[in-house]
Amino acid sequence: MTGTTTRPAEAAVRPVAASATRRAGLLALRGAAVLGKRLLMLLVLLAVVFAAIELLPGDAASATSERGEGAAGLAARRHLLGLDRPVWERFADWITALPTGGLGTSARGERVTDLLAAPLPNTVLLGGTAFVLTVLAALAVGLGASARPRGIVDRVVDLTSTAGFALPEFVVSIGLLLVLSLWTGWLPAATVTGADGAPATWSMLVMPVLALTVPQTGWNTRIVRAALADQAATPHVEAARLDGLSTGRILLRHALPGAWPAIATGIATSTGMLLGGTVVVETLFNYPGIGTVLAGAVADRDTPVIAAVVACAAALITVVLLLADLVRARTLGARS
Amino acid sequence: MDWSRRQVLWAGGGMGAAALLTACGGGDRARSSGSGGKPRKGGTLRIGALGRSSAITRDPHGTQGNESDYLVIALVHDTLTAPGLKDNTVGRLASSWKPSKDLTTWRFTVAKGATFHDGTPVTADDVVWSLRRLRNTPAGAARLPGIKADHITAEGKDTVVLVSDFANAELPLLTRLSTFVLKKNTPDKDIAEAPGTGPFRLDWYRGGNARLLRNAHWHGGPVHLDAIEVTMFESPQAMANALMSGQIDVASNAGAVAARTAAARKDIQVVRRPNDMAMPLVMRTSGGPFADPGVRAAMKLIVDRKAMVRQVLSGYGTVANDILGTGDPDYATSIPQRHRDLARARKLLKDAGFDFSRTYELVTTEDVPGLAESATLFASQAREAGIKVKVVKQESGTFYQKTWLKGDFYTNYWGTNDSVVFFASKTMTTGSGQNEADWSDEAFDAAYHKVLATPGPKARTAALHDLQQIEYDRSGYLLWGMADGIDLAAPAVHGLPQLPGYGRVQLENVWLAR
Repeated sequence: MTGTTTRPAEAAVRPVAASATRRAGLLALRGAAVLGKRLLMLLVLLAVVFAAIELLPGDAASATSERGEGAAGLAARRHLLGLDRPVWERFADWITALPTGGLGTSARGERVTDLLAAPLPNTVLLGGTAFVLTVLAALAVGLGASARPRGIVDRVVDLTSTAGFALPEFVVSIGLLLVLSLWTGWLPAATVTGADGAPATWSMLVMPVLALTVPQTGWNTRIVRAALADQAATPHVEAARLDGLSTGRILLRHALPGAWPAIATGIATSTGMLLGGTVVVETLFNYPGIGTVLAGAVADRDTPVIAAVVACAAALITVVLLLADLVRARTLGARS
Repeated sequence: MDWSRRQVLWAGGGMGAAALLTACGGGDRARSSGSGGKPRKGGTLRIGALGRSSAITRDPHGTQGNESDYLVIALVHDTLTAPGLKDNTVGRLASSWKPSKDLTTWRFTVAKGATFHDGTPVTADDVVWSLRRLRNTPAGAARLPGIKADHITAEGKDTVVLVSDFANAELPLLTRLSTFVLKKNTPDKDIAEAPGTGPFRLDWYRGGNARLLRNAHWHGGPVHLDAIEVTMFESPQAMANALMSGQIDVASNAGAVAARTAAARKDIQVVRRPNDMAMPLVMRTSGGPFADPGVRAAMKLIVDRKAMVRQVLSGYGTVANDILGTGDPDYATSIPQRHRDLARARKLLKDAGFDFSRTYELVTTEDVPGLAESATLFASQAREAGIKVKVVKQESGTFYQKTWLKGDFYTNYWGTNDSVVFFASKTMTTGSGQNEADWSDEAFDAAYHKVLATPGPKARTAALHDLQQIEYDRSGYLLWGMADGIDLAAPAVHGLPQLPGYGRVQLENVWLAR
């Protein structure tokens, strides 16, 4: 028997009735709806950020003041920063400038776009490398474990992936630092940047990337493994097995395609976790990214900076989630 | 991220007589830090300094929240005067200064041969413009107290005249901190790259990190290093790791925790700069439970100073005697050290009718390492005397809005350990802008004015002694100890600054044995 009649999943992927143009139109519509929903969510999220910072004790003027600064000077700076205006007004100003790329001015008078210009690419490099690595590693390990369910490899992976995910980034970081740098001297302990603002050598990226990758791989491996297990129970995979196809072929050609939507969604959620992890990892390795900018901005109650970082992170996450949606849509097509 | 914004500037300041202590280090530690060996020319010093990318500033007269920025600025731009080892104040861009008889008018002479990095000579006009710019910043009044902007004028090419609103024998001391001199009429947009007059000139600056090159024509004498590379670190631990893995040569102001980690390493110098930071407990004197001088005296007898230094500062500090300005050459060592005496404290409290049934709040922040711990430890020590003290932790911004200058009982810290008079004028005389304990004492004010108006060094020392005795007896400050400033350095580094506070950024004498 050949595959054509025994692959119902594939049949569902390509519904005979839907013409290509109609499908593209549907996809675009669906995309626009999703994008709209995400934008609305971003708007709400940013409003919450503004409100949350308002609720924190202290404000940007007092947080960035000098000890010798008098009450009059403080009031003047408060006025300059617009802190004497209601929070919704400041939010409206900030959000209406956003579409034109204006991110406002920090409490210390810097343009927020300037503040983020150097650290943002660094964080994207760090997070992006970690993302690619964790996807590759999770797929490899997840497929490896699925080859023989409940075999030794599977059980070891089950345990270590849970452990890996349970390890916070700072624990992994400190372990890496001790072993790879302070004891063996193999890797530089901290990131030092050159005149261009980027890490001086690539070796400075290794530990920060690993510190992010290890916990995420724990998480993603479990998702890959679970998605493949679900697929293993489907009739077409069962049939392929009965056909006597090789394990590798069954996994790659029959189980994996159906598992993609679940895997894509799971991996997409790790974008957020990766970005969250960078705040910790960047500080520990002195990596010049937006995580450190964010931490400082929170201490400063610097709303425009915090909101800008949140907006950048949200934009990144949105793009990845949209990609995941696209994978789902492509795979499931009309079924969803 | 246990490092905070206010630490830098105010964990900064000042001076004091200090001996360099190297707690541990490699075989050639004896030669380190100016104690011997012939300085070698050349090499690049890689130095780490704390900073936060959100707080980066390039303005020499702005709020330097980052130690790294302050370091870069202080190497590129000269201040008029600088902290010294034997004399509290030594010349930097000013070679000399002279007061009028009544000590209100001071004439500073610009050092001969002082030029900007682009070769143009420094004139009095440049200095006047810079000082006025400094004075006109939000904190300007606190930085140059008693000197109005239009009372800063030039006299000829090389004399700058400062007229104070009152007699002030310590005026040159005030010009040690942030009187960075730039060229007259430098536009704000060019400030970051503006040429300075300092021992190093800027090669590049990016995101808190910088490379500086030797200024071969520096008016202050030969500079040994070819270049200095400054790397900004967000956390002291990352900075210590970078030092231990050989990525940097010096970890500036790394703190006690990093020092403890490094102490196990034989190949790292732990450079202790005593008298670096005061962490007093402040008691409100104008009202509330501590208004009675007897109660304040009792609190000063309750604290176990040695235990505080040992536990709060990990031993990296010294016991103090409730007088601020411990690094001052005129600090009164003859006043007997207060020790713990619970029996006498109880008697004083009983005489004052102190309410033992109440719980007293001690407000603190986590602005600098050890601060909150000092409050907690004091609370447990007070319990042994029968006083219930509850520690309340406040977020920094809230603290400065709600508690500082207003609270009954709180912790505070000062890195500007300049001089006894510096603290008196800023924090203790009646009506002074930062009178933290709201203290007003006629005898103290009189002693203060006598000190300021006394030109002769001998008579002045005597007057200073009286002032310190009153502060010791009655002020609202319980100063239990002084934290050391701690730098970590690789064995090859020599000639590191020995002074506390702002003294630490003077790297022109540093040289490398490699």
